[in-house]
Amino acid sequence: MSEFLQHLVNMLVLGGTYALLGIGLTLIFGIMNVVNFTHGVLYTFGAYIMFIVVQQLGLNFFLALPVAVLAGWLLGAAIELTLLRPLRGSDIDTTMLVMIGAWIAMQSGALWIWGGVAKSVATPFPEAPLVLGPVSVSWLRLFVLAAAAMLILVTYLLINKTSLGRAMRATFQDHDTASLMGVNVDMIYTSTFAIGSSLAAAAGALLGPVYVIFPQMGDLAAVKAFAIVILGGLGNITGAVIGGFILALAEELGAGYVSSGYRDAMGFLIIIAVLIFRPTGLFARAERVG
Amino acid sequence: MTRALGLVGTIALATAFVGGAVQAQTIKIGVNEPLTGAFAASGTYVVNGAKIAADEINAKGGILGKKIELVIEDNKSNPTEAAAVAEKLITSDKVPVLMGAWGSSLTLAVMPKLMEYETPMVVETSSSGKITTTGNPFIFRISPPSAVEAAAFKGIVDKLALKKVDFLVINNDWGRGTAEDFSKMMKDKGITIGLVETMDQGAQDMSAQLSKIKSSDSETVIVTTAVDQLTLIFKQAAALGLKKRIITTGGSQNPDQIIAQAGAAANGTMHLTTFLPWFPDKTPNPEATNYFITEWKKRGFEFAGCTESFRGYDGIRTAAAAIEKAGKAEPAAIKAALWDINIKGLNGDIVFRKSGPEGKESGQSQPNVYLIEINDGKVGMKTL
Amino acid sequence: MRIIVTILAVAALASVPLWLRDPYLLNALITTGIFVIGAMSLNLLLGFTGQLSLGHIAFFGIGAYVSALTSLGFDIGLPGDVRLVHAPWPPIAGFVLAILVAGLCGYFVGLLSFRVRGAYFVIVTISFAEVVRLVALNWVELTQGPLALTNIPSIALPLPGFGELTLRTKMQNYYLVLAVALIAYLLIARLVHSHFGRSMRGLMENETLAVSVGIDVTRTLTIAAVISAAIAGAAGSLYAHYIRIIDPEVFAFINTVTMVIMVISGGKGSLAGPVVGGLIFGLLPVALRPVMAPEAQWIAYGGVLIAILFVLPRGIVPSLAQRFAPRRSGTAALAPVALAETGAKEPA
Repeated sequence: MSEFLQHLVNMLVLGGTYALLGIGLTLIFGIMNVVNFTHGVLYTFGAYIMFIVVQQLGLNFFLALPVAVLAGWLLGAAIELTLLRPLRGSDIDTTMLVMIGAWIAMQSGALWIWGGVAKSVATPFPEAPLVLGPVSVSWLRLFVLAAAAMLILVTYLLINKTSLGRAMRATFQDHDTASLMGVNVDMIYTSTFAIGSSLAAAAGALLGPVYVIFPQMGDLAAVKAFAIVILGGLGNITGAVIGGFILALAEELGAGYVSSGYRDAMGFLIIIAVLIFRPTGLFARAERVG
Repeated sequence: MTRALGLVGTIALATAFVGGAVQAQTIKIGVNEPLTGAFAASGTYVVNGAKIAADEINAKGGILGKKIELVIEDNKSNPTEAAAVAEKLITSDKVPVLMGAWGSSLTLAVMPKLMEYETPMVVETSSSGKITTTGNPFIFRISPPSAVEAAAFKGIVDKLALKKVDFLVINNDWGRGTAEDFSKMMKDKGITIGLVETMDQGAQDMSAQLSKIKSSDSETVIVTTAVDQLTLIFKQAAALGLKKRIITTGGSQNPDQIIAQAGAAANGTMHLTTFLPWFPDKTPNPEATNYFITEWKKRGFEFAGCTESFRGYDGIRTAAAAIEKAGKAEPAAIKAALWDINIKGLNGDIVFRKSGPEGKESGQSQPNVYLIEINDGKVGMKTL
Repeated sequence: MRIIVTILAVAALASVPLWLRDPYLLNALITTGIFVIGAMSLNLLLGFTGQLSLGHIAFFGIGAYVSALTSLGFDIGLPGDVRLVHAPWPPIAGFVLAILVAGLCGYFVGLLSFRVRGAYFVIVTISFAEVVRLVALNWVELTQGPLALTNIPSIALPLPGFGELTLRTKMQNYYLVLAVALIAYLLIARLVHSHFGRSMRGLMENETLAVSVGIDVTRTLTIAAVISAAIAGAAGSLYAHYIRIIDPEVFAFINTVTMVIMVISGGKGSLAGPVVGGLIFGLLPVALRPVMAPEAQWIAYGGVLIAILFVLPRGIVPSLAQRFAPRRSGTAALAPVALAETGAKEPA
């Protein structure tokens, strides 16, 4: 029983960051209909920013986080402006392949710059975990959960309570009509990609110090993000949040009780299962953004 | 298209010509290591160690009156690439002996090529039993397979009073092989084996496996994987409040990097290593150890890399000794000479014993194994 | 005109082992050739049917494993204390089985995946390939997991009256790969130019319209998937018996990406495209090895992929064909590529 409780606690902590990853991708995929293969790279990028700011520049850990988020935002905007905007109107295959090209180039770039040796980021939290009866959880992971929750809340408010959010939701529903109603669709697309990318970078910045940082770390993260998006339904933020926790739960229980070797396969299996039985996602009714 | 092929052919011819001209002046040793990809860090350490050996030999006049030249190629941590690289080194660069290829799956991939071209290879890092037992007479390994490690550990096991042991190993030949060989050895001593958990090569979150182990009734966990995952495991184990005795095996632990990256989580952990750069006087060859470490530091490399780079150093010295003994830089002669050499490696004498099916034996040397413990952020010999 | 170019190209390729003696380069050509076959099979789905299958390496890898296991034999335990033992069969049998099993997998993937389209189909195919990789990695009893299947025998061709010819030398393997590549090429060409081929392309151009004229979408897509997978399986088998070692890394996503780059840069939807793209991107790493660090190479490939999509979105071969095709009037001028490809009905 205590083992089960421990798995639950692990799941809670991981689910928050998975949710961040998923929200970012569901926004991009949902609003822009772009299969964003660079999502994983942004995750990696966010982690490396933490490494640069904390380890190499020696700045405060808590200050480094907003820097990473901002950097992700900028990189996302840059990718959208240079690679996606010129291809506006092309078919989904072309944009997808361009994203793959960008992913390969950027990941190889990270490998070239920082090398293959994994990097660690020092954190200001105590090593000794918080012990609550039979379960233990590290302070760092609690912080990650809190930060992720806060970012999810901010995103939720952004999408549902601001005019930018309203414009994004309108574009999601029908971008021709939105454009006719005066929405600057180009700017919405850039903002969406930037916001989604900044969330991926945030997830990387939060998880980087928990694990270690290396150039290929985003590959798995990207797949999990896709699994969450498919679980929760395209463009569905609440679905993405719940999907994030479901994936984390499946991984923990699968690895704990079925077979540890297949832990990372959970995401893929979920994708396949959902697409066979419920292609629109588990939350088919709530198909709108927000 | 045809023109491109013709161009490629011309370049190849030119390179072969130039290479051939240079060959007359130097003796080449092929180095087939991962400089990019998953094992890039280790491969780079090994290559840097190899360079120290080559420079040392050349400073003393080389062998057979010529300088040795390391032809270094990157196998990208990929078995297919390792095989292709071996072929290039043997057929294009005409090296009479190789060192490589780091890790069992890469080495296994190269082995058919060695048979095809009848060229010997000094295997400096790999632990799968398969390498020396499938009947490849061109393999000469200086690193210990897990069976040898387990045998060396036998002596220490009694003193640690182990009762029930869990395993947490990387899901490949190395990890699984270790679990098998160590389990066998321990069962013979009456120790109970508990869980055998595995983790994927790229996995970062081992909380599930560790939670399972935390709930088990064993008092010791044997962990086999490379330094990156070890760091994660120690941190996650500490976060889960796992209080068991942890012993790592395999020789890729890199304790200094673990201390740097896992911090306090590493304290109390023990490690079976094959080299003691922290205590040169306890190594079989203190003079050579000191020389190696001084050279290493002089070149500005991270001290942490010593635990792996020494194998590159020993590997090149082994190959060079064989060439010297053979009297000529030819594969068949070098292969024969490898059986006759006896040099003082940094972790023990390098003498090859027969291993594998009769008539096609490979060479296996028996290095020393030591148990160290990390306490207060420092490495210490485990006194038993 | 195109026939002449094709014959010349084939003759040139056939002559290579006669003057190129460097085994290292021959090796590069052989592995490139195998990947070209894989790229051609991907092109069938990607270029002629419009389905972006990013799990294609799964069929290649499954073919490789099936062929290897058939020729090595295995002994595994199944649920219920049953042991399944298979004695080694000749590699040729492995080749045939690889084609059949891969094709079967293509059938199931086709059935499952074609419930979803577009981006979802992409994700499902990627997931399928990853699950297969993880199975290959973890089902150690069957596949040896990361230890890899080693000492896979070379293909031996039974020659009636002469016994058996085991293909050991580079030259022999080169001609084997060339032969299989030619057969695959001709097969795909025939398929594309047939009635079935027109159904495929009709589907790609406009699915709703195609359905309205009576094209059975699922049947067409499934058949294309089966053939595509079968050819990829054949390529995988050749790979297994040539390289003679197979490990789960064969399923790595990067290998699919390599094939995708070959197809897209060469020209999807064109028969010669994957061949050209394949030769370029198969040989480029060899040529660049002494010059550029591998990471730098991959940065370049990513850049090249993007550049081609921007500048030559149809790929190299169609763009060249467009340049050299004589000017036509009327509707023919709107699709010079398609016309040039089918080689049919050149207006006077």
